[in-house]
Amino acid sequence: MRISRRALFFLGVALVFVLMIAPTPAEFRWLNLVMAGLALFWATLLGIEDLSNRRRDIDLPKGDDPD
Amino acid sequence: MGLTVVLIIAVALAFDFFNGFHDAANSIATVVSTRVLSPRQAVVWAAFFNFAAFLIFGTAVAATIAKDVVDPAIFDNQVIFAGLIGAIAWDVITWYAGLPTSSSHALVGGMAGAAVAKAGWGSLIVTGLQKIIVFIVLSPLIGLLLGFTIMVSVYWMFHRNQRVDRLNRGFRHMQLVSAAAFSLGHGANDAQKTMGIILALLIANKQVPVDSGVPLWVVLSAHTAIGLGTLFGGWRIVHTMGSKITKLTPASGMSAELAAAATLFFTAHAGIPVSTTHTITGAIVGAGTTQRLSAVRWGVAGRVVWAWVLTIPGAFIVSYFAFLPFKGLG
Repeated sequence: MRISRRALFFLGVALVFVLMIAPTPAEFRWLNLVMAGLALFWATLLGIEDLSNRRRDIDLPKGDDPD
Repeated sequence: MGLTVVLIIAVALAFDFFNGFHDAANSIATVVSTRVLSPRQAVVWAAFFNFAAFLIFGTAVAATIAKDVVDPAIFDNQVIFAGLIGAIAWDVITWYAGLPTSSSHALVGGMAGAAVAKAGWGSLIVTGLQKIIVFIVLSPLIGLLLGFTIMVSVYWMFHRNQRVDRLNRGFRHMQLVSAAAFSLGHGANDAQKTMGIILALLIANKQVPVDSGVPLWVVLSAHTAIGLGTLFGGWRIVHTMGSKITKLTPASGMSAELAAAATLFFTAHAGIPVSTTHTITGAIVGAGTTQRLSAVRWGVAGRVVWAWVLTIPGAFIVSYFAFLPFKGLG
């Protein structure tokens, strides 16, 4: 299974926010968590979108227009 | 107030003017590249809101610059002067190269370099620097995520609307609001750095007590200087920000500016000096990413990142050497 580049990109952004928790001053760590959550949310949605697009491409007979 | 202090205040305000010249162009990059306003109109629009920022935001960022980067006891006229020289020299070099680097980080690097030249590494306040360095990384990423989120929300809200012309006209009007918001954030962040320097200078010369807030005349003169700098803004950088990173539409320009403005409002409120350049670049990349990753010209974005990485060390080194003649004289 291949995950789309955009999903991986946002996964990477989430990872950076998590890695930055340690050096971030304590009063701002909530921001890292919120932003990591948001990045993870987009990574998940983009991953799901990509998977559903692939499934649709496989299910449709050649020449069929989905719209 | 001695002549030396007046001269250094003039240099600080010149730095602020250059900051407007160098950085504030970012406020109008998107609005110009989407042709919502002509360059001349956009510059006047941004200059006005840069000035108006003093009515809305406090002076938390100024306090951070004056008291949380370098031990205030180290500040004297020579350190502040050498720090400003380093920051201005770095700004001029990067402006000439057409790189959108951060005047704010140049200032922090400059002050740190001059302070270390005077009193060694112990003169730096680690917690204050840590906060600034962490947000060098976080602020563009926050801008990126918010830019992407706002852009997707706009798509969700309007994707069924068939009247594209009318929709685009609406976004173009909204961009006036978003550009104004970003200019307010820019004024709040960047003008305050100069206020912080002038406050440190006044404290060092015992013109105001150590626990003093920023005097009103300092607030007004800093905002005037950055507003005037914006009026004479640098078009080389507008070009890089507005068109080279990704192609902007009225909707994506508006989303990027709103995302950057939200980030800057937060950091101004929290007293964190961040780069408006970093933030708007991240937001533009975020809005561009809604198309596809290849819609972003990563080569240009990467060149910008290198300029960011080099700014604090670059300004640090220039200021360090700018201070050495004073040390020899002392």
